[in-house]
Amino acid sequence: MEATERQTKHRKTALALSIIPGFGQFYNKQILKGLMFFILTVSFAVAFADLINIGLWGIVTLGEKLPRDHSIFLLTQGIIAVLVILIGLVIYFLNLRDAYLNGRNRDLGIPLNSVKEQYRNVTDQGFPYLMLSPGFFLLIFVVIFPILFVILLSFTNYDLYHSPPANLVDWVGIQNYIDIFKLDIWRDTFLDVFSWTIVWTFVATTGQIAIGIFLAVLMNQKDLKFKGIFRTIFILPWAVPAFVSILVFAGMFNETFGAINNDILAAFGIDAIPWLTEPFWTKVALILIQFWLGFPFIFAMVTGVLQSIPDELYEAATVDGANIWQKFRGITLPMVLFAIAPILITQYTFNFNNFNVIYLFNGGGPAVSGQTAGSTDILISWIYKLTFTSAQYGKAAAITMILSAIVIGVALWQFRRTKSFQEEDMM
Amino acid sequence: MKRFFALFLTLVLAIGVLAACGPQNNENASSNGGGSDSEGDDANKPEKLVVWEDTDKGIALEPAIASFEEEYGIKVEFKELGMADEIREQIRLDGPAGTGPDVITLPHDQIGQAAVEGLISPIEVEQSVVDTFTESSIQAENFDGKLYGLPKATETPVFIYNKELMDKAPETMDEVYDFAKDYTKDKQYGFLALWDNFYFANAVLAGYGGYVFDRTDEGLNPQDLGLNNEGAVEGTQYIQKWYEEGLFPKGLIGENGGSTMDGLFNEGKAASVMNGPWSFQGYKDAGIDIGVAPMPKLPNGENFKTFIGVKGWHVSNFSENKEWATKLVEWLTNEENAKIRYEKTAEIPPVKSLIEDPVIADNEGASAVAVQSQYGVPMPNIPEMAEVWEPAASALQLVATNKQEPKAALDEATKTIKSQIEQNHSN
Amino acid sequence: MSPKMQNTVRLTLSYIAIAIACVIILYPVLWIVGSSFNPGDSLSGSSIIPKDATLAHYKSLFNTAESDYLLWYWNTLKICIITMILAVAMISSMAYAFSRYRFVGRKNGLMTFLILQMIPNFAALIAIYVLAYITGLLDTHFALILVYAGGLLPMNTWLAKGYFDTIPKELDESARIDGAGHFRIFWQIILPLAKPILAVVALFSFITPFTDFILAQVILRSEEKFTLAVGLYKMISDQFGNEFTTFAAGSVLIAIPISILFLSLQRYFISGLTAGGTKG
Repeated sequence: MEATERQTKHRKTALALSIIPGFGQFYNKQILKGLMFFILTVSFAVAFADLINIGLWGIVTLGEKLPRDHSIFLLTQGIIAVLVILIGLVIYFLNLRDAYLNGRNRDLGIPLNSVKEQYRNVTDQGFPYLMLSPGFFLLIFVVIFPILFVILLSFTNYDLYHSPPANLVDWVGIQNYIDIFKLDIWRDTFLDVFSWTIVWTFVATTGQIAIGIFLAVLMNQKDLKFKGIFRTIFILPWAVPAFVSILVFAGMFNETFGAINNDILAAFGIDAIPWLTEPFWTKVALILIQFWLGFPFIFAMVTGVLQSIPDELYEAATVDGANIWQKFRGITLPMVLFAIAPILITQYTFNFNNFNVIYLFNGGGPAVSGQTAGSTDILISWIYKLTFTSAQYGKAAAITMILSAIVIGVALWQFRRTKSFQEEDMM
Repeated sequence: MKRFFALFLTLVLAIGVLAACGPQNNENASSNGGGSDSEGDDANKPEKLVVWEDTDKGIALEPAIASFEEEYGIKVEFKELGMADEIREQIRLDGPAGTGPDVITLPHDQIGQAAVEGLISPIEVEQSVVDTFTESSIQAENFDGKLYGLPKATETPVFIYNKELMDKAPETMDEVYDFAKDYTKDKQYGFLALWDNFYFANAVLAGYGGYVFDRTDEGLNPQDLGLNNEGAVEGTQYIQKWYEEGLFPKGLIGENGGSTMDGLFNEGKAASVMNGPWSFQGYKDAGIDIGVAPMPKLPNGENFKTFIGVKGWHVSNFSENKEWATKLVEWLTNEENAKIRYEKTAEIPPVKSLIEDPVIADNEGASAVAVQSQYGVPMPNIPEMAEVWEPAASALQLVATNKQEPKAALDEATKTIKSQIEQNHSN
Repeated sequence: MSPKMQNTVRLTLSYIAIAIACVIILYPVLWIVGSSFNPGDSLSGSSIIPKDATLAHYKSLFNTAESDYLLWYWNTLKICIITMILAVAMISSMAYAFSRYRFVGRKNGLMTFLILQMIPNFAALIAIYVLAYITGLLDTHFALILVYAGGLLPMNTWLAKGYFDTIPKELDESARIDGAGHFRIFWQIILPLAKPILAVVALFSFITPFTDFILAQVILRSEEKFTLAVGLYKMISDQFGNEFTTFAAGSVLIAIPISILFLSLQRYFISGLTAGGTKG
């Protein structure tokens, strides 16, 4: 009875003392560890006090007085402050947990680890974290931070008339989202742009994948010669920076002076095609260009996969009397799709957001009457037009959030359907 | 146990929030104090002034700075930055930080936005100083009824011809039309202009009586659009004629029209073009013997009302020495320094007395620009102009590609512009 | 049809298809090369076989008084190499952790980042700009390198992890019995075996700075710090007076080293993606 009482005491006392980090460890007689926690906490507090202070105040108010306060800087500092606090909380939680666990061990009469054992423990269990932390840290700032920024921005009125340094930005709740659905132009144009975005994403991506797989299968034939040279050529479009190729294509597709109309089509006796002024032909041109740009990556991936498919499978199929097509349908395609499915999904989302090719080829044109979007604008390039011409950053962020919800939703759904992501071992 | 932890976490969070709220008032107070300190010493002569100049144009600034330093004993430093957007972006950041310049140069169509954002401040100068500049250039520097800077250089499109292919500049567009009718065949063109680009096309529309925003005594009225009035429609019909009859190739339409046109002219495949003074050097470098003249008269007997672009000197809103900065602006734009600028950079200062001065009057290119400037209108400098470019260009493109009639296209464009202005600029 | 006949038909058809593909691929590429030798500035006057071929554009690129091209080239190489080293170091250690250890977030961590990266994000440019400004890293190559490296992590870690998974765990265990520590196993056993995928990751990292002009434009403010992509893009994005032929010459000089790199790494490339792809 007395023993249980003592047990309860240790873990609770250690935990309680750990409200000031380190003291629980002192109580557990782990002086060194306690000292480390304590020093860590103190230096954390000293180093970040200002940042957290200004940051939290800033993110709540977005500035109060001009010209001292710059709302966007304050928002940024606020996000950093929140991130820093989260890191601090993790350390604090570890401190509490450590004190509690060691206190419980004492209660249960288990001898505590010596300093040396503690060190071993840390390096053993901490090793993966050690390996991950530099990359994770970078990801927080390069991936997470901008996303938080956009999310928060979508709830502000940041635009030309509310922009630092002359004016303060304010929180406006979901006003931007409401506005978007009230805008006439948004409503009118949205369906057109959205349906083309879907067609574009689906046709361009599927096409580049099909071409990539087709060529990879062709090249994988054993009795084919000059494979090295051909493979090199096939990878060339990848080696030339995309923006260079797109701009060159824009020149080549010029209706009056471009090589396509003048040299190629003329050679076949076909009349000049209005590549840049007729929506239909511009769309065709864009899709063809994306095939050209996109297939080498798939080609390289699939070539890799094909080489890992064991020959026995094909031999067995041949014995069973399968023809080439049956072998392709029955063996090659399923194997390939299984292996690279996640990559394929990223290809679709990449094209969904493929701003460069649309913007550089023809600026989203040709024009459509009474719309703010051109006939080949996809959602992302339309957002760019809507916002960067009139500095509607808050609305841009809101539209981005809506788009993101769509993209992430579809991607998640697809990823879940993909077998290779379901295996526990995969992720 | 769980409850225990939950309690603790709440406690920790509460402490965190409290800690964040506490010292924030101190922070407020302290920087308030700091702010007022720095504003105190104003009337005194500053030690130095900082100027941000356009890239490659500092050469014209040096002599003016030297004489200013001699006259007033204030040191002037300058730095070269891209004028199109770099200066504006940079001052947004450096201004509030206190590391910004006192005087900057901007193209005048950015004045509205820069003033709204509080980047530049209105200046007060004697009427006699204002009177030394051409009326249109002063108009360009005015926004919201206030003068925001003094003009340093002006530019506007003119008629450029290849002396080998055209003896002399025609007087009227009818002559140009007849010449082009005769000359244009086999990818040879008599006259080319980017009339699907609103910057150039407005010269025609306005020549027939169209306007973008109505100019009242208080400035431009963004509610009164003249893009679809009778004159504008007539002008657009005139534009349509050039495309319809094949005098302008289809390949000239769209994003890359500018480079296409330059290419044709450089290769001697176009006898004449409408382009700005920035293109002179490139044409000369390509070995073309160019002649330059004001735009020939339109068929209705009016002149092209080309858009005038004015580069001005402005006082930064963050400058602590606005009076002295204004003095410097006056100094930089006085007749003597304006002349130096012209001699060093061939930029044409809109100083009345200089336009008659032999250095400009005897130079074909410069005088053509100077004369054409007198017929032109300054590009609107109010932020609402950002909503005009795209829809107006769409309308012109639809007309040029024969998809819509001028009246209908301009009506649509006007509708789009109006609703965009309402949404984005209603504050 | 006899099997032999069938084979001949199949091969002939294959060669025809491949030949067509090659022509389509090579045509624009040759066109860039051709116009880089063309006199004059513009695209419209260029042809694939120039009449009076000239090296003038290359000369003007190498003329340091006239153009910053060499400086940009040097900047880009510097950024590429550091990005590559940094990215490979981080990616291999992250992939190792994901492949061999159990820890909080192992199951969904990578996937979360992969998905987050799909967000179309123009506003992120503002965020990165402000962040760089606040940290004093605006207009530095260091900031750009960090952003590039960070952006490369999720996808490449995923690829590398797939490859690491194919390296038998027994190797680790026997090494552990021999007394090797965590880091030594990683360094002396896993890494040497993972060379193919590391080569692939290195290649991906290396070419990123060559192709991006948007981020670089946001972060780099002064002309002498530009990368090739930004410099070249500015060369052509001027609506008036752009120099297409010089731009083409500049592009050819970019494509050559990248193509050579692709070629020399091709062997690794296929085998690296093989294992990474099928398993991962």
